[in-house]
Amino acid sequence: METRDFLTLENVERGDLRSTLGLARACAEGRLREPLAGKTVCLAFFEASTRTAVSFELAARRSGADVISLSEKGSAIAKGESLIDTVVTLDRLGADAIVLRHPAAGAAALAARHTTAAVINAGDGCGQHPTQALLDLYTLGDALGGFDELSGTRVAIVGDVLHSRVARSVIPAFRAAGMEIALVAPRTLLPLDAGAWNLPVLPSVDGAVEWGAGVLYALRLQKERMTGARIPSISEYARFYGVARRHLEEGVLVMHPGPVNRGVEISGDVVLDGSSLIPAQVAAGTAVRSAVLALATGAAHEVAA
Amino acid sequence: MNGRDGRPADLIVRHAHVLDPSIGLDGVTDVRISGGRIAEIGDGLRGGRELDADGLHLFPGFVDVHAHWRTPGREDEEDIESGSAAAAAGGFTSVVMMPNTDPVVDRPVIVSGLARRVEKESSVRAHISAALHMGLEGERLTEMRLLKEAGAFCVSDDGLGTASAGVLRNGMLYAKTAGLPVILHCEDHSLATGVVHDGTFAALAGIPGSPASAEDAATATALVLAAETGAKVHITHVSTALSAALVGFFKGRADVTSDTTPHHLTLTDELVCTLEGLYRVNPPLRPDNDRRGVTEALRDGVLDFVATDHAPHASEEKELPLEEAAPGFLGHETAFAALYTELVLNRTIPLSRLVEAVSCGPGRWVGGAGSLRVGSPADLTLVDLSEEWNVERGALLSRSSNSPHLGRRLTGRVAGTIVGGALVYDHVGARFGIRS
Repeated sequence: METRDFLTLENVERGDLRSTLGLARACAEGRLREPLAGKTVCLAFFEASTRTAVSFELAARRSGADVISLSEKGSAIAKGESLIDTVVTLDRLGADAIVLRHPAAGAAALAARHTTAAVINAGDGCGQHPTQALLDLYTLGDALGGFDELSGTRVAIVGDVLHSRVARSVIPAFRAAGMEIALVAPRTLLPLDAGAWNLPVLPSVDGAVEWGAGVLYALRLQKERMTGARIPSISEYARFYGVARRHLEEGVLVMHPGPVNRGVEISGDVVLDGSSLIPAQVAAGTAVRSAVLALATGAAHEVAA
Repeated sequence: MNGRDGRPADLIVRHAHVLDPSIGLDGVTDVRISGGRIAEIGDGLRGGRELDADGLHLFPGFVDVHAHWRTPGREDEEDIESGSAAAAAGGFTSVVMMPNTDPVVDRPVIVSGLARRVEKESSVRAHISAALHMGLEGERLTEMRLLKEAGAFCVSDDGLGTASAGVLRNGMLYAKTAGLPVILHCEDHSLATGVVHDGTFAALAGIPGSPASAEDAATATALVLAAETGAKVHITHVSTALSAALVGFFKGRADVTSDTTPHHLTLTDELVCTLEGLYRVNPPLRPDNDRRGVTEALRDGVLDFVATDHAPHASEEKELPLEEAAPGFLGHETAFAALYTELVLNRTIPLSRLVEAVSCGPGRWVGGAGSLRVGSPADLTLVDLSEEWNVERGALLSRSSNSPHLGRRLTGRVAGTIVGGALVYDHVGARFGIRS
């Protein structure tokens, strides 16, 4: 049985995205019946998470897997067990897939070198968050009328790109889907070499709308970034980098990986507006993660066979 | 006086020796001003009012990117009216006001209020520098994008160095985002623990000294960060030969410009011997080898231009022992004469370089000033290069009198200053009357 790690979307190809999202569609429509029956999925979260942890757990259970959850609290992780030792333990206990969330970039790749189980990166530091980007594409494809409609759509990624693993996954994913991307952030929240992605940097959300963005993808601003060292104030941030009602004309769509700081990245009246895909993003999580689990454990092949 | 169509009639400045290195002008000719702008330069111009400038030199208006007009908060020392009067008397047609006032210029509402007051009260063009950090404390960034919308021209934590390189780096990055230049006062506080230059005279007098490294280390840090971040950075009051050389190294490696002051070009730390509070300034007066190094750097264009750091202080803050006195000198009214007397008359630097350093260079930095090119704003300075005068308390228009040149005799006096075609300073009065 062939397993496959899901570590990063860097260098992802359009065909892979299309087939993964197609499988997610099949999961959502209940066309795969318990593909993970008899498999063991272990959720190892070395960092707090609500929606990612819950949606992976739901995805695994609905797919018929046995699920083991390790969180920081109440496990050997809290006793200081190293990442590698935890992974080796889970491997010997017979895990078929390990879903890993960790505060350091590269943790998932390191774990993958120490287990034959499939490692699925559920977010590693400021590195990657591949299932987030997949569910974003799934949601956006739905909203635009199909995966092929993504091609040529302009998306502005707004906010703290520097500290964002979501940005590092959605940029290659959006690019592989054929979207045109711009970044909107102050220099204090961009990598020094923002040109690393060869993307334009726009001065404000207003500027992004002027540029023709059809999608405004706002990133979460962590509380500890709001103290004045990198941005002067919430009001200045919201004024130039916050998505407001005035940006919603002409069918602009709003996305956010959550949790939203209302009134900071997105004004309160926009979060649940009709143009907001945020609830749909959350809803897409289970189907997309079911598909990823099925692909990772090789179950998708078995079902197809 | 208005012409028949109600617009001010053209003004012709006749027979001045016009010197403007920015357009290669150096000779006696006439200049016509129309609609507040330079309309024409040439011999035998006719029509309109005339100003007889025979025997005077005419330069593009001087520009001072470093002034403390103490408003708001210390209007007893200077206000916009007296500060701009002093600037005009020194031939300055544009200045940049520093934000270390009380309250500090760190909020958009303070900038917009100041901008309104400048409009009403200043006789010269006055740009507002807002603070780089709230309260100049080097912790929280100011709302630079909103400050810019309110009218801020640049940002600076002048008077205080920024304590941490990490904080300064983020400040530069954010200023770049806001599109504002940063003016930096480079001083490392872990080194700058004294009140005068840490040299022979401090040692002999027993006054605590701050070493040159306090400036040099901070200047090096600032330059490295400017090169890395790509921010537009101006390093003000360079006072050591090493800092000047560091600036030179980073030319072409960073978007950086620099200035030095008339006092660091003309005075040395020998004045520490007087033990007089008047001579305390920051950065401190340096030994003669630094003064010469800085002068050569200015002559060669390594340092771009001159700024005065005009810093008025009440007499009760200056008539004190050195260690207790407030640091700072008046600068506007003596700048040109001191530099002409000390550096041009003895042929250390040519007059044309001095004009570049007080006018063209800083004019380019603020944009659209410091040039007599046709179409430019008619900001002009008329100078009598032969007039000798004594620097005396009664002769100064500043509300304060803490000039380090008090009691000295200087050569070269500003005769008239024109801003946007309007005469805002007229030293010679009657002789200078404009004939219709």
